[in-house]
Amino acid sequence: MTTIAAWVRQDARRPITAAIGLVLALLMLPPLYILLQDSITTTDAIGDVTGFTLGHFGKMFTDKDALRSIWNSLVFAAGSTALSLVVGGVLAWLVERTNTPFKILAYLATIISLGTPYILHVIAWLFLLGKVGPMNDLYRMATGGTDNLFNVNSMAGMILIEGFLWSPLVFLLLGSTFRAANADMEEAARMSGATVLQTLRRVSLPLAMPAILALALFVFIRAIGGFEVPALVGMPGRIYVLTTDVYEATIVVPPDLGYAAAFSVAMVAIVAVLLYFYSRLSKNAEKYHSVTGKGFRPRPFDLGAGRWVAGAIVLVNFCIVLVLPMIALLWMSLLPFLRSFSMAAIPMLSFKNFRTVFTAPGYVELATNSLLVAAAAATVIMAITALAGWIAARRGPGGWALDQLATLSLVFPGICLGVAVMEVYLRVPLPIYGSLWIIAIAYVIRFMPYGMRYVYSGVLQLHRELEEAAGVAGAGALTTLRRIVVPLLSPAIVAGWLFIFLVANKELAIAVLLASPGSQVIAVSIFDQWVNGQGGELAAFGLIWTLLMTVIACIFFVQGRRGGTDVFGN
Amino acid sequence: MLTIRALTKIYANRFDTQAGGVREVSFDLPDGTFFTLLGPSGCGKTTTLRCVAGLERPDAGTISVGERVLFDSEKRIAVPLNERGIGMVFQSYAIWPHMTVFENIAFPLRVAKGQRPGREEVKSLVEQALSTVGLSGYGDRPATRLSGGQQQRVALARAIVHRPKLLLLDEPLSNLDAALREEMRIELRRLQQQIGVTTIYVTHDQSEALAMSDRIAVMEKGRIVQMGDPRTIYFRPASVFVASFIGAANLMRGVCDGAVAAGAEGAVRLPDGSAIGCLFPNGGAAGAATTVSVRPESIVLTAPGSGSLRGTVSAASFLGGSARYDIAVGDLVVRVVGAAEQMLAPGTEVGLNFAAASAIAVE
Repeated sequence: MTTIAAWVRQDARRPITAAIGLVLALLMLPPLYILLQDSITTTDAIGDVTGFTLGHFGKMFTDKDALRSIWNSLVFAAGSTALSLVVGGVLAWLVERTNTPFKILAYLATIISLGTPYILHVIAWLFLLGKVGPMNDLYRMATGGTDNLFNVNSMAGMILIEGFLWSPLVFLLLGSTFRAANADMEEAARMSGATVLQTLRRVSLPLAMPAILALALFVFIRAIGGFEVPALVGMPGRIYVLTTDVYEATIVVPPDLGYAAAFSVAMVAIVAVLLYFYSRLSKNAEKYHSVTGKGFRPRPFDLGAGRWVAGAIVLVNFCIVLVLPMIALLWMSLLPFLRSFSMAAIPMLSFKNFRTVFTAPGYVELATNSLLVAAAAATVIMAITALAGWIAARRGPGGWALDQLATLSLVFPGICLGVAVMEVYLRVPLPIYGSLWIIAIAYVIRFMPYGMRYVYSGVLQLHRELEEAAGVAGAGALTTLRRIVVPLLSPAIVAGWLFIFLVANKELAIAVLLASPGSQVIAVSIFDQWVNGQGGELAAFGLIWTLLMTVIACIFFVQGRRGGTDVFGN
Repeated sequence: MLTIRALTKIYANRFDTQAGGVREVSFDLPDGTFFTLLGPSGCGKTTTLRCVAGLERPDAGTISVGERVLFDSEKRIAVPLNERGIGMVFQSYAIWPHMTVFENIAFPLRVAKGQRPGREEVKSLVEQALSTVGLSGYGDRPATRLSGGQQQRVALARAIVHRPKLLLLDEPLSNLDAALREEMRIELRRLQQQIGVTTIYVTHDQSEALAMSDRIAVMEKGRIVQMGDPRTIYFRPASVFVASFIGAANLMRGVCDGAVAAGAEGAVRLPDGSAIGCLFPNGGAAGAATTVSVRPESIVLTAPGSGSLRGTVSAASFLGGSARYDIAVGDLVVRVVGAAEQMLAPGTEVGLNFAAASAIAVE
């Protein structure tokens, strides 16, 4: 007992590290372990290990379809990264660094997209670009033929939709880079005689380049693990990528879990390598970060007459990212079945779908479930990371290990985590499988790194002496935590909570394998409805849901601005 | 009585460079002393202070206040910082922005170990501390609505409210503007004398150290290189480093003219052949290379030919209250501060005169 007392007395944070470390290890390590085990073993009908094999990997590297999936994944991720970077980057520069009109529209689109489930965007675009959609409709009318201008279920369609899906995030993150850039450097270039374009090419872009590269890698990692677009756009066109292969292998009867695990391990390995380069790149990006602190006022470029061209770009983007998808969803929600925009359809418009959403009991329960699971996950994550992030950021005992454990799940693409969590909790003798709990646990694992990130950077913004002063004044570690750290950190904790709450309600991939008929969440239910052809109801429900989430996203933005924490703590 | 023996704390990654850590620092402070650790950044003064506070864990040495041992590496004693009962003012003040002024100051009383003062007692102690620092009536103010000088005073009130035996001040004036710094310098000293608390003050500003301290320890590369009262430090610097770090010093290198006993005056011959009289605090051997330090204000400019040295004015600046000259003496440039009523033009031949007692052989 005395040795434990002395151990604690030397640094009162030690028992916190031990307890949090245990919880994190129990959450994070089993999924990784089970994936590795499944990928190199054979199992019998009830899931017991029967032997060792390299066959799953062998199949993956020899099977022509598998190799094509790997290639498709790379093309898909690279293409959508490039598109989102160009679209989001141009927009960010125009809005943050020039005097273009309509700036507010860019923010509006971003806030609303933050609250909209990805799958709704995808469905709206499927309608707009699809066979019955207005674009091909117009083309057929113009040519009088029966051909389509564009087949949306193609690689080009996938890249187009995924690219625009990510462009708001790129806008937001690059926007903060451009905003923080020191205007003096650009003005010095202008004073030396450079034009706006020369300044952009020779000064602004090179300065932002490390941040741009880091962001490109980040989007690439997310796109590799993306599931919504490959599942809804790619699969009907028989275009498979790694994530949809994992999904297929898991839902076929009987499921080929070894093969799914092998694919997952391959993806985790790819992501881990990319993450390693990402962390190196983003460290580099910080070096160029020329924040000037207080009294800093950005001085935008004057584009002259060109500002109306810029304004047109902002306006077109606004239409593409927000107006068109919303109109499409509204149109779908007012019709009993899917058909293109036409005068003939107008008499059929009705609010019947909205009435169904409000009266059918399933929807209220679905919404409650989703909100509950997301709120529970966000709360648990912030409680854990408030402690772990503080100890890690202050280099307390075991801080490095806590940081590594908490951010370990970054290597899991959503669908792989779904497979792993399913496998783990099938074997754990707890009545979790098939309930909402298993989704909550998967969310906690998946979004833990975000909570960590918010708390970590929040702590770094607190002057160390604020805590030291409490210690010198006589407060122990726990009192300091309770009376000083947590109150001062509360803006970061609230921002992290809201962010996790929002993304948990957006993503489909994690929950798609874990939800069961009795325990559904929004994204999965929308997915099922789309597959079942209930487009009208899902559009009505999706619009109402988007409205609700937009309100929360607005709170998140206001909170982020006030607390000074970086929005989107990636 | 604060006793520190052989305090050592070395940062491994910077072992070979000048910066980082303290080596074998020892000193004793009688109760009520205002003691200053003075030195350039990276000399170890803040590390020493943080070791005393308990914010850093020394590698070796002992720290004790009176009979109470706070740290002893051999006996493996290390009192946690929150049980040391020390008051400290941080460089950033570390005023908690989510509390009022009152709550900031009351904090040490509220988290005290053992017997905590009651509500009324807290109130009276805090008000007493507030009036000591001249902020009576500011208790209800949010901490975010304070000027720099007021934050400084709140930090001080928080450090003394629980009547500590020891007060640590970590460059508390460095964030204030020049006028306020002068004012707070006097205020801090007055306050320390009023409470009579033993104080360790860390600064890199030599004029602060000279104006406020009872004793000064000058630190260089983790070691104390000279310790003494301000006059001794200024007028009898023990090394070239101390001479040049404390105020401006003219360093003249030459050779000791003949053996000199410790504390006696002797002569040093400069490379150009002229000899200057100076004081040898540690004595000197004939023929030994010697550096002599002379303060600019100790030198009187006279007509050429009289005085110890002769030279030519190479630059003259009018500073209002005084005039500053650079005088070329052979290869050497000697700085002289003189009266400003009548300026000497550059090119003027002058003699340089100074008493042997104000020229110190420092090495």
